[in-house]
Amino acid sequence: MRVALYVTCLVDLMRPAVGMASLRLLEAAGCDVVVPPGQTCCGQPAWSAGNRSLAGDLAKKAIAELEAYEYVVIPSGSCADQLRNVYPQLLADDPAWAQRAQRLAGRVFELSSFLVDVLKVCVPLADFNGSVSYHDSCKGLRGLGIKGQPRELLLKVRGLTLREMADCEECCGFGGAFSVKFAEVSTQIVERKCVAIAGVGADAVVGGDLGCLLNIEGRLRRRGDETTQVLHIAEVLAGNAE
Amino acid sequence: MTAAARHSQAMHFHARAGEKVRDEGLQKALQKAKPLFVGKRAKGMAALADDGLAFEMLRTACVDIRNRVLEDLDVWLEIFEARATASGAEVLWARDGDEICELVIDVARRHGVSKATKSKSMLSEEAHLNEALAAAGIRPVETDLGEYIIQLAGETPSHIIAPAVHKTIAEVEALFAREHGRPAETRTSADIPAMAREARQVLREHFLSAEMGISGANFLIAETGSAALVTNEGNGRMVTTLPKVHVVITGIEKIVPTLEDFATLMRLLPRSATGQTISNYVSLLTGTKQPGDTDGPEKTVFILVDNGRANLLGSVYQEMLRCIRCGACMNHCPVYLSLGGHAYGWVYPGPMGSVLTPLFTGVENALNLPHASTGCQQCAAVCPVGIPLPGLMQRLREAQVERRLRPRGASLALKAWAWLAGKPALYRWVMRRTARYLNWLGDANGRIPWLGQAPGWSEGRDLGAPVGKTFHELYAARKRV
Repeated sequence: MRVALYVTCLVDLMRPAVGMASLRLLEAAGCDVVVPPGQTCCGQPAWSAGNRSLAGDLAKKAIAELEAYEYVVIPSGSCADQLRNVYPQLLADDPAWAQRAQRLAGRVFELSSFLVDVLKVCVPLADFNGSVSYHDSCKGLRGLGIKGQPRELLLKVRGLTLREMADCEECCGFGGAFSVKFAEVSTQIVERKCVAIAGVGADAVVGGDLGCLLNIEGRLRRRGDETTQVLHIAEVLAGNAE
Repeated sequence: MTAAARHSQAMHFHARAGEKVRDEGLQKALQKAKPLFVGKRAKGMAALADDGLAFEMLRTACVDIRNRVLEDLDVWLEIFEARATASGAEVLWARDGDEICELVIDVARRHGVSKATKSKSMLSEEAHLNEALAAAGIRPVETDLGEYIIQLAGETPSHIIAPAVHKTIAEVEALFAREHGRPAETRTSADIPAMAREARQVLREHFLSAEMGISGANFLIAETGSAALVTNEGNGRMVTTLPKVHVVITGIEKIVPTLEDFATLMRLLPRSATGQTISNYVSLLTGTKQPGDTDGPEKTVFILVDNGRANLLGSVYQEMLRCIRCGACMNHCPVYLSLGGHAYGWVYPGPMGSVLTPLFTGVENALNLPHASTGCQQCAAVCPVGIPLPGLMQRLREAQVERRLRPRGASLALKAWAWLAGKPALYRWVMRRTARYLNWLGDANGRIPWLGQAPGWSEGRDLGAPVGKTFHELYAARKRV
């Protein structure tokens, strides 16, 4: 099975370990993983800013470099939502591109959903000694319906116990440019998330979107929490060693 | 500039948001309200299963009803007008807020009205009706408990169904002590019934002496020419039946074809708003007092208002007109729950306000609102009439770009970044440099406590410093091994 790994611009820059962990998980599951070399960014920032033409250009670029693969796997619900749900409507006015976007959309998967819904076999590559609490990122949850998959995977990790935080489906306040444009509001929202995290007292907060994780980790550290780990699900499943 | 735009403070969203985040009393009030808003709705929706119903199924039915009305709104309005007139009511039309005020004052003068009791009406907020009435020598008295509090405080509602949600008990107590001329006491939530009784006593006098009652309408029912009123406090019945004149002010989009349609919508409206299976009072108000009736107004006037609504028909924003004003979108919005309603600057707050305010007051007069969203999509998830609120905010963002209303600096930065993202080799090089730079910025704990390029981020958060090599570098190195 030829799978394209689309790591996302944020993982590439801020936490490459998430990309490497995704790669190991997919390879261990028997996939022939390719990292398409031209990949940059899916264009979501342009789309969110309301710039349809810039977002459209980047969508076409991504479609062209990804459409040859059987599957495209992305360790981010937000970017996967962009390719699956936004590209087709973004390019709807251009019949040829709309068709290509549609054909690609059904083959794009967020990592945990791909492991559970498509591969249906996933053996974690590492143990985790402690408790974790899963934060449901918005686009993954409400855009792609990802809810059970990450939990199912986490429960397979030896030594790991799963503890639900209060309001785990509530937004962490990141929202891409929102976190900078309306920084005070964003901070207020993530503060509530941190209170919920403190309430559950798990050893680690785990999520499927690096944006949310950077936001949560940044706030936890600022409010003096030096111990709660903030991890991408790929890092938990694959371990951090490379 | 339209009257609505004149009154809007939406352009100050950014500054106001900062104030609201730092307002401790407000934050306390919002934190108290949040679990009630969310928990009650969830419970109400879960209880649908007792009747063999499900939210998704009802939502589809409600969407269909509202769409059917909007497809032929003119026809339904004519039917409503004919039926309402036949039952003895008068139907008047207002283009905007100023016309609402003129019509109400004219009706009041014709009937020698010096005092008007009011049940909740957001349309009267759109029109700034209370100010206009006062200026015309007519005393408006708000009778919904929340609205009564707001009127005493000289404020505007911060929520469409819980207008005083931003106030703490202590604030309300101070207000009551001052306005009711008594010493202030220490109050807890156990005293709420006593405080409500106190307000009720004051209001009772007004109910009995007012010559005019002004209400909104949750729906207008075309087949019977009735106004449907969904309330919890009973004040709505007092306002609409005791005075000799009753004026209903509502938007033209509030029509539903039949009583059965109304019943379907009622499955979701109270549940979405407060989690109730049904509100304490549901009133269907038709025509005037007839021979043999023991109560009811001698004169009923419907004022049906456009104020920007007709412009949305046939536009990409038409779906917004399905809104039934339940408040669920704001009750579940992380941004609203951090700020309350006043930050939004006009009548409607939260996600529905972020769409309606620019549409009713001008896209150029509310530039921040369509961006005041984390994109979490929870508003769309809970909306009982399936309005794609995030999609409509997205459309408004696009409209700003098309009309070149975005700040130049931000647009240029976005263009430069998109250009770079289209050049993979150069992009890789820039990312490698950025990764090194951010790594270098990190302190001994691998954290960036201050990022000059994003001071907003850094004020409330650290940033974990990256390891200094990009994924593509690590991947290339691994392939070589």
